[in-house]
Amino acid sequence: MTNGNDPAAALGLVVGTEDSTPLDFWFAVSPGQRVQLDDVVAVDRSLPDGTKVVMYGIVSQIRARQEGARFESDVFLITDGVLPGEVTEAAQVQITRIVPETFVPPLPGARVRRAEDAERDAALDFEGVDRRLPAGLSREDEPIWLDLDFLDGTKGAHLNIAGISGVATKTSYATFLLYSLFTSGVLGKEAANTKGIIFNVKGEDLLFLDHGNTALDDESRARYGALGLEPAPFRDVGILAPPRAGDVNATPDTGARQQGVAPFFWTIADFCSQRLLPFLFADAEDERQQYTIVVQSVTARLAEIASTSTTDDGAVRIEGTTVRTFRDLVGAIERRLIPDDPDEPIDPSWSGRAIGGGTINAFVRRLASATRYVEHLIRSDISDSPSHALDLDSHQLTVVDIHRLHDRAKRFVVGVVLRQAFEAKERSGVAKPLQFIVLDELNKYAPRDGSSPIKEILLDVAERGRSLGIILIGAQQTASEVERRIVANSAIRVVGRLDSAEARRDEYGFLPPVQRQRSTILKPGSMYVVQPRLPVPLLVEFPFPAWATRSSEADPAHNPSGTPVPDDPFAGLER
Amino acid sequence: MMQFAVDAWEPDYGAGGDSTHLDKTEGMVDVGVELGAAEWEPVDPGAVDPPESVMFVDGVRRIDARLWITSADGLVHPGVCASFAAGAVVARGGEASVEAIKVGRGLFALAGEGLGPIVTKDVTYALYPVADDSSEGLYLGVHEQMTALELSIESDGIDLVVFDGPLRGRQSATAVGYVKTHHVQYLPEDQQRVVYRLAPGQRSPLFLVGGQGFSRWSWYVRLPGPITHPLAGVVRCELAGLGTVDDAAWRASLVTATLGRFASEPHKDGRAPQNLYPIAGLERELQRRLGDRVFLERGLRLAASG
Repeated sequence: MTNGNDPAAALGLVVGTEDSTPLDFWFAVSPGQRVQLDDVVAVDRSLPDGTKVVMYGIVSQIRARQEGARFESDVFLITDGVLPGEVTEAAQVQITRIVPETFVPPLPGARVRRAEDAERDAALDFEGVDRRLPAGLSREDEPIWLDLDFLDGTKGAHLNIAGISGVATKTSYATFLLYSLFTSGVLGKEAANTKGIIFNVKGEDLLFLDHGNTALDDESRARYGALGLEPAPFRDVGILAPPRAGDVNATPDTGARQQGVAPFFWTIADFCSQRLLPFLFADAEDERQQYTIVVQSVTARLAEIASTSTTDDGAVRIEGTTVRTFRDLVGAIERRLIPDDPDEPIDPSWSGRAIGGGTINAFVRRLASATRYVEHLIRSDISDSPSHALDLDSHQLTVVDIHRLHDRAKRFVVGVVLRQAFEAKERSGVAKPLQFIVLDELNKYAPRDGSSPIKEILLDVAERGRSLGIILIGAQQTASEVERRIVANSAIRVVGRLDSAEARRDEYGFLPPVQRQRSTILKPGSMYVVQPRLPVPLLVEFPFPAWATRSSEADPAHNPSGTPVPDDPFAGLER
Repeated sequence: MMQFAVDAWEPDYGAGGDSTHLDKTEGMVDVGVELGAAEWEPVDPGAVDPPESVMFVDGVRRIDARLWITSADGLVHPGVCASFAAGAVVARGGEASVEAIKVGRGLFALAGEGLGPIVTKDVTYALYPVADDSSEGLYLGVHEQMTALELSIESDGIDLVVFDGPLRGRQSATAVGYVKTHHVQYLPEDQQRVVYRLAPGQRSPLFLVGGQGFSRWSWYVRLPGPITHPLAGVVRCELAGLGTVDDAAWRASLVTATLGRFASEPHKDGRAPQNLYPIAGLERELQRRLGDRVFLERGLRLAASG
């Protein structure tokens, strides 16, 4: 496009009226040239010793002004042809790389050129990336890559997505990344054994991942092609849903999707032996709460009982009584802690030592209040109960549907699933193949303040997952409400549309001011990706999902798992 | 009670018009060329098709440094290094653009042996010998060079060329001299009163100014704006004394009708409305092209020392 020597053909020249620094500079756009935000540019400088330094950068701001105008109203005179004036455009560039690394500023008058092809790769530091994970497309439809080394634990792990609900498309981007991981070939032979768990927290968005999307058009297909991906639904998806409350057959409680869904629940024996009781208490590990001692004590007692007297169908015999339902279990625990005869001493093997009546009451009250939300998840009243144990291994991608559960039940399920996955990885002792976990609403599970078993598990994943091969793709509306260590341990940060008040918080300090401002107007499907290799966030657009995100989109002909698509009960309704 | 008005121009520029201190003209003035001397009345230009292209020519000058030059005979003479520029704005269609900017730099000093141009690290000041090295004489030298630069601006194909200042001998039919200040009273008192009565957009009848072998058609115009005193917004225009009086009268009406559009407003220009917008814009651009004075002066100091 530019021929080396003609200044008129340069994209622009570095201005002398603004400071040029090794971090950013301004250039005046040559007449007839078009520059837009996120363009990638390069500029050279020769050092006194003859070294040629190339500076690469991304256009972060552009301004146009009328030179010769001193008053606002001069624009009318200039447009009317009365006052001479000239429109000029200048663009601000944030420097991404200087090669070789000599931190000198570009000089005023230096010619700025568009960085294309190999230079673009150099500018975005893609040239040193051996394992490129397609992360989306630039505004010019050029692929943008993530360095897998920073996601799979080699140099870093975990990815965090922030953005407001609805427009930030956090879950869609997380699903896209999973698809990219599974099918781009970046994982090599491991791809087949790499597993993903994704929690469906809202709507039924994720229940049709294995169906083609009828709304996918040729343009979107081409965008997949540009990234080297095949536009197709996920091949191997298992869908787990909680059973319908009150249903003795444990039919999965899903709306539009009925087929190919397995129910998940835990038997009373699992609940006791796996010590799941603390997951019912959001603040069970908070030192200030007296009743947590009772939780620990009862948990230990239940585990002890389960180790000796479990029936084949997953029930537990507690001191002579067979317990098959959660309600029975709560009743049994209550009887041990609050004897019918007030004079009878409380068995300290249940309550723990020197525990007051008020503390016991607090525990029982909390336990009882949880009953109605979780009783359909913890049960041994179904003939083949043990066979419904949570199966996270049979499919490449397991969708755990929790969107119809109450918050307390959601926390319970997320906590228990995470622990199961974490412990499985711990037992296996090898990091590969990787286990990816996608969890939205992190603020609910790992809030900034307080402590809980779920938060501890998430912290474990964030801090030790990198070496264990368990990778968290976490998302939340507001990073400011999430435990700092979880976000801080994410090597890759992604930001979708942010609330303008949220965007001002320190948690987004990794976004330069311009990007921070722009993050409040990002459109759905556009995200800022910050990765360790580059000091500047990259704007990526990811292609429209090739898999259905609702039953109305599900393509009956493109359906690898062979499950029929039901009629959409919500067809025609605004979502 | 005394009647007075405050001049619209900022005091630094002098006065736009002060009838009490106008010198009487020394040249020949014939006020009876368009209308008889007794029939003088303000003239409405009427409906005129505006010219397609109008050019405004102006120049600026600036003393960059004052020098003391020691001549071969050991005497010390004053001199100045000055930058000057001339250029043009062309208003054509819906666009006004600065065209043809010329910049000159000169050393102005009394002619003498051993004098030559001054070369600094950035620019060269060409030598322009002057006959009189008083302050006024040096200044006049700079002014002459600036005028020469203005005269060298090409104006082919332009319908109307407005020079900021008197015509100064230009003999082109399309050239108009545009005089903002009234140093000389050309008209007898009766006709001068007609000038006071001009409404915005009106002109006086033509009068012919002779003298020094160069005659010009001249007239007064009142530009749009508040009339705070009898000469507020009044400028004098000149055409080369060519052709018939009818041709000149038509052209005078054309110029009168055209100028109003370019008149400035007081909150934007200290010399409103006489300082026309295109000329103000051109002057700013020319000042900019003169370069940074401190920077040039530093170059001269370096050249002087070494």
